[in-house]
Amino acid sequence: MSAIISTTAPSPQDGSFGSATAIAKVDPSQRNLSLRAHALLLPLSFVCIFPLYWMLVTALRHEGDVFSTTLWPENPTLENFRYVVGAIPLGRMLLNTTLMAVLTTVLQIVTGLMAAYVFASARVWAGRLLLVSLTAAWLIPPQVIMIPNFLLINRLGMMDTLQALVIPHAAAAFAIMLLYQTIRSFPKELIESAEMDGCGHMHILFAIIVPNIRPVIASVAILLFISSWNEYLWPLLVTRSAENSVIQIGLQMFLGEQGNQWGALMAAATLASMPILLIYLVLQRQIIDTFVRSGLR
Amino acid sequence: MTTMNTPLKRRSLIAAMAALTLMSQTTNTWSQPMPPLGNNKVTITFYNYNLASAGLGADATKELIREFMAANPGVTVEGVAVPSGDMTTRLQADLAAGRTPDLAQLVFNDLDHIVRNFGVQALQDIVPAADWKSHTEGMVPAGLELAAFGGKMYGLAFTFSTPVLWYNADLLKAAGLDANKPPSTWDEVKSAALAVKAKTGKEGFYGSFYTQFDWALQGLILSNGGRVLSKDRKRLMFGEPEAVKTIEMLRDMVDAGAHTTVSDTDAMDNMRNGRLAMVLTTSAYQRSLMSAAQGKFDLRATKMPAFAGKPAVPTNSGSGLFILSKDPLKQRAAWELMKFLTSKQGYTTITTKIGYLPLRLDIVKDPKYLGTWVAENPLIMPNIEQLSRLQPWESIPGNNYKQIQKIEVQAVNEAVFGKGNVAAIMQDAQKRAQALMPR
Amino acid sequence: MTTAAISTTSTRRIHRPSVDAFLIPVLMAAPAMLTLAVWVYYPLLETAWLSFFEWNMMPGATKTFVGFENYERLLSLPEMPKATLNTIYYTLGLLPMTVALPLAVALLSQNLQGPWRNVYRAAIFLPMIMAPVVIAVIWRWLLNAEYGLINVILNSLGFGKVQFLNNPDTALWTILFMTGWKLVGFSTLVFAAAITQIDKSMTEAARMDGASEWRVAIDIVIPLISPSVLFIAMLTVLHGAQWSFAYINVLTKGGPLLATTNLFYLLYEYGFANFAVGWSAAAGMVLFLGFGAIAILCGRVLQRHAFHQG
Repeated sequence: MSAIISTTAPSPQDGSFGSATAIAKVDPSQRNLSLRAHALLLPLSFVCIFPLYWMLVTALRHEGDVFSTTLWPENPTLENFRYVVGAIPLGRMLLNTTLMAVLTTVLQIVTGLMAAYVFASARVWAGRLLLVSLTAAWLIPPQVIMIPNFLLINRLGMMDTLQALVIPHAAAAFAIMLLYQTIRSFPKELIESAEMDGCGHMHILFAIIVPNIRPVIASVAILLFISSWNEYLWPLLVTRSAENSVIQIGLQMFLGEQGNQWGALMAAATLASMPILLIYLVLQRQIIDTFVRSGLR
Repeated sequence: MTTMNTPLKRRSLIAAMAALTLMSQTTNTWSQPMPPLGNNKVTITFYNYNLASAGLGADATKELIREFMAANPGVTVEGVAVPSGDMTTRLQADLAAGRTPDLAQLVFNDLDHIVRNFGVQALQDIVPAADWKSHTEGMVPAGLELAAFGGKMYGLAFTFSTPVLWYNADLLKAAGLDANKPPSTWDEVKSAALAVKAKTGKEGFYGSFYTQFDWALQGLILSNGGRVLSKDRKRLMFGEPEAVKTIEMLRDMVDAGAHTTVSDTDAMDNMRNGRLAMVLTTSAYQRSLMSAAQGKFDLRATKMPAFAGKPAVPTNSGSGLFILSKDPLKQRAAWELMKFLTSKQGYTTITTKIGYLPLRLDIVKDPKYLGTWVAENPLIMPNIEQLSRLQPWESIPGNNYKQIQKIEVQAVNEAVFGKGNVAAIMQDAQKRAQALMPR
Repeated sequence: MTTAAISTTSTRRIHRPSVDAFLIPVLMAAPAMLTLAVWVYYPLLETAWLSFFEWNMMPGATKTFVGFENYERLLSLPEMPKATLNTIYYTLGLLPMTVALPLAVALLSQNLQGPWRNVYRAAIFLPMIMAPVVIAVIWRWLLNAEYGLINVILNSLGFGKVQFLNNPDTALWTILFMTGWKLVGFSTLVFAAAITQIDKSMTEAARMDGASEWRVAIDIVIPLISPSVLFIAMLTVLHGAQWSFAYINVLTKGGPLLATTNLFYLLYEYGFANFAVGWSAAAGMVLFLGFGAIAILCGRVLQRHAFHQG
């Protein structure tokens, strides 16, 4: 973990020779920086990981040992997991939630990209108007609009369907705003030269802009996915059976009238975290890969 | 249904109800518009909150539904699982959307609201009199009263309990007390709690008076001669002297260190892992407490403590079954399901598998039903014994009843755990809440 | 990123007259705008309208016009002043954890070699994958005064036990900590992605000139990602109170003694208790207008200070 490793950092575009000399000059401060970085990041990472670890550990404990403070379960058991799988339609719920989250995220990204592009290329006042109205959309507490939406879903006959979970969220103000900011910062020259070549808007957006803002899209996608994954109130209103409902509702089922089943809750929660972890690991490579390629050290 | 043109003016409501009863011959006569099931095929929805928690309650309910459907092959029951806290929200949303539920398990503190607004069917109007009589024979009269409103019966008590004082016998013994003579008055509770704290360092007492469901609180205040709502249901009374004295008793316990100040969930967890000596709450926690105590401490239960010189008044928690459907055939199916769930067999399952109270006392000693189970699980006895002394959990009238309850509970929390003047807090809250009562 | 690749296929596309050039953008923006119009803006208008009525949505029930009564009732709740003060605490208190700390993490970690960068970033992101309910429960255990690991450690170090959630003095900060804890990964991700968008030539040039990493960060990187930073800051100011909702609802319900309540939670309690539509509509409008005013202010700041690379 020394500064010598910097010789292996790829930086094809700016010429390796330049970097090589730069390395020798910056070496000592680089090591200090590294130390400072670790000094902050290591404890922070620990604080972030520990509760997750605790969740896993509790899931492996017997129901009676749930309050124990030993760092590892004395008699690890899988009984909570077995119980959870039998007690609620976990597989179905995970599937529903995944489908809902994926579809919603994809829709939100696509509609967001298109809207953001249009407003970013438009006059400044249009952009400001957009931002103001999006912020307005954003500020509305979801519970407020839930009942009118529920009534509309009912009238459309979409109750208890996947569409009901996805369509009202087909656009996300947050995504539009962030993508708008990003596209506004995009080098104008590239867009202009493409326009002069006669490229249509869709082409400019999807063939030129999007490939270059993949990290932003990936990060927005992750966040939208998580936000969709954590939805509770809306699915509660529009789904009618446990088999059609989502994992958040499933988790709530372990907190009940007759007492809370902590071990089972932790087991269910562990299983419920897995898809998100997967999505993160898949999508974050988008961000990392671009890093490596563009060589920001 | 006649439309209501003014904000729930009591007079027009009574007028409407009078008109309705006039239409069904004379008041308090049981009419018979309900057809028999015959060979008809019918599907009904059953909104239930036990289905919404995994394991325990859900399995027992599913089992009951299955048995019912086996005995009544023409009827299909769709269970709709809704968490209890969200039940009225869900019902309201579904009714507004035109999807009327057929049978619903509704918490008693919503009774006023659901009768007035959800179109709950008065059983008098739809159930054959003979049927009603034979089915309710053997039910505790006090239990039947729980679902009565405005002189009519609207449902049957289903999953409910009374306040039970659970206690950790080991902790009481360690504090030098006789675990076979648990506290029976609030003064005794206080001194026992202080003894436990002093001798063992563990917390003494917690009561379930501070959450949005004020059933136990109402019982506590009733036990001291006060009321939360006046008998004519027009005035709130939780700021009156008797109620204030009740709250002062709790505050006194907190100030003395006898009453733990942690949250509701924490208190129950503490009880489960042996760090709390006594807790006054529902018997629905029976299974959970018993499994936590197994092999760790001696868990026992006793009846609700009384104020010196006055009888304790247990109130009920929990829910009843109510029919909302307007279609006569569905009403019949719902009624049959309701009868099944509140039959001797039904209550046996509910009591043994979930821990709630049976509305029928005759099954308690009967070995065919609860006899053996009760002998093996004496913890349910205090609850059962209190059943005959039960008084109903009053539901608050009007559209703003939830907000009124919020004010009440917030005030109790502040008065008990804060530093202010109890009387001032409760009176102020009563005034503000009274402004929200129906005009 | 060259333009050469595009020109070959583009000759077939002729620049159409303005009608077409107008139509395509409209069609592109349409799905998002339509969705928002139907599912967000229209209900908002309906809500604004309903806030002046008393109605319980039951078939047959009528709406009663009550003017500003719903608003009066809400705004005169005795809990309001405390809730407002708490909201300010929540908002300002979250900023270090949603802006300052993630910024530091994003900057410091990107220059790390080998697998460390990804490992740290993944570790810091982990809180995001846990459901809020579960996070609340876990931290409650860890912070429990009797058997929580944190207190066990504090005890062994000689400190007395701390009632994190039951003590009015510490409860709010505890909730704040949990909220921020979950969100560090969120902001780090956004900042990290924004950093990738920076034109590398600028930072390389600075480094070639011998600038230290610190200076590179301050003078170049941060200004260039300022739109994202300010965006997250605005997000925190507007939604901070809402983010802590899950934890307040599971752990303290606004207590102990109003220590952890905030505007959003208070209005949720009274407004959405039973879909007495007047209450909830008015509550929604209060939140919307209140935070709307703040948003406009933030918008001004954003416009003035954001620096766009393009």
